[in-house]
Amino acid sequence: MTPADVFPELRPWVENLVNVWPAYIIKPQFAQWQVLHILSMVILGGTSILINLRLIGVGVTNESPSEVYRNLRAWLHVGVVGIVVSGVLIGMANAERLYDSAAFTVKMLALLAGVILTYGASALAAKADGRVGGAAKVFFLLGLAVFAVALWVFSTGDLINPGMFHAITAAALVVLFVTRGPIRWIYLVGLTALLVAQYVATHIVIKADDYERLDPVNIAFAWIFAAWILGVAAFQTVVAGRSAEGGPIAKAIGYATILVWVVASAAGRWIAFA
Amino acid sequence: MIRDFLVWLQTELGKGPGEYPMSWSEALLGSLNFWGLLEGTHLLALMLFAGTIFVVDLRLLGVTFKRTPVSVLSDKVLPLTVFGFVIVLLTGLALFYAKPLVYYHNIWFRAKLVFIVLALLNIVIFHRRVQRNISDWDGLAKPPGAARASAAISLAAWVIVIMLGRFIAYDWFECGKPLPDWANALQECAASEKGAQTLAELAQ
Repeated sequence: MTPADVFPELRPWVENLVNVWPAYIIKPQFAQWQVLHILSMVILGGTSILINLRLIGVGVTNESPSEVYRNLRAWLHVGVVGIVVSGVLIGMANAERLYDSAAFTVKMLALLAGVILTYGASALAAKADGRVGGAAKVFFLLGLAVFAVALWVFSTGDLINPGMFHAITAAALVVLFVTRGPIRWIYLVGLTALLVAQYVATHIVIKADDYERLDPVNIAFAWIFAAWILGVAAFQTVVAGRSAEGGPIAKAIGYATILVWVVASAAGRWIAFA
Repeated sequence: MIRDFLVWLQTELGKGPGEYPMSWSEALLGSLNFWGLLEGTHLLALMLFAGTIFVVDLRLLGVTFKRTPVSVLSDKVLPLTVFGFVIVLLTGLALFYAKPLVYYHNIWFRAKLVFIVLALLNIVIFHRRVQRNISDWDGLAKPPGAARASAAISLAAWVIVIMLGRFIAYDWFECGKPLPDWANALQECAASEKGAQTLAELAQ
């Protein structure tokens, strides 16, 4: 689903965007603006992961979630504003390509979900040291709904769906980082078994160049991986229980907010490939 | 000698006996999705690595987490940084392996390596010298000049590394194009498959 599929009447306007100020100034400096975009993503990545890992209950645990947020919020704003401003500018200079890109649709949806989850849910929960009020719950559900649409477009888009690897792998690693003790080992054994099973199915049972048969098998494995990772994350979240610094919903907000930025960033990279 | 090794790496290593044999490097570059997955993972790992190292650098500069001891923040954040760096390194090596000769004759790539070495040297100096008396300034909101200088160098070096990494994709100084003598010399264009063309030759 590309922007052109959703807004087909906009093509003349999109085609003319490159001639509009400031796009014609940005175009010759495209690489430099891309650098600003990546630096903004780096700042957003560092701040977001530390704030949200703290909500989950790991990371900078010697400080309260509100203290971690207070220390990083200015840089979080720099990252978000930076990606939006630099993104709009390089987007205007490259509008025609983005208009026909399903990965761009994913990126925009994930960006919207990221802003909703970051400012509507994660920031509120962090400021309240993990207590999730009514407004944060509403924004969490809204952000999750938009995020779900982004994931649906990502996983069903031709040529871009391999990019779901990033979302699944990031989720797997976050859960590995968060879990402790026997749960971590059980989780790791399950992941390893799934990896071995996928290798056997896609390299021995089915030949590696038999794409017609491989596609459904790989999709099935993606679902199984996602179910295993989400299942362990949910178990960890519930088992951890309600503590002084937030319960399962705060932790779920932390997981979702990390992953939504992973998907937005990964989709941005996949614009170049499909 | 380095170039000969890279030619072997790109064109010979893993070459099969089939009708259209490809080396592993060529197979990687021509793969349907693997290249994209590597690049995407490289970027995401960079966000983790550089994003978390920036937070530690900002603490050393006295900008953020002023009430948290430097050692405490480092202990909590640096495992994430190291993990991100390992993934950046592994995916970076794999990306290099897919087209080693292109990178070898790329001025931005060469400059990037120089700044990576500088950034790593800065880390070694920080851990060996600056951090030796950390107990004296661990809890200070504004660490001493040496620690702040180290953080500023780290920030600057990694920003430049990221910038140079992005510029690699652009062909402004590609060998074979008319280039200033210094650019041809710095990226050894004369030895490359596309050769060296100077601006003077173009003017004639």
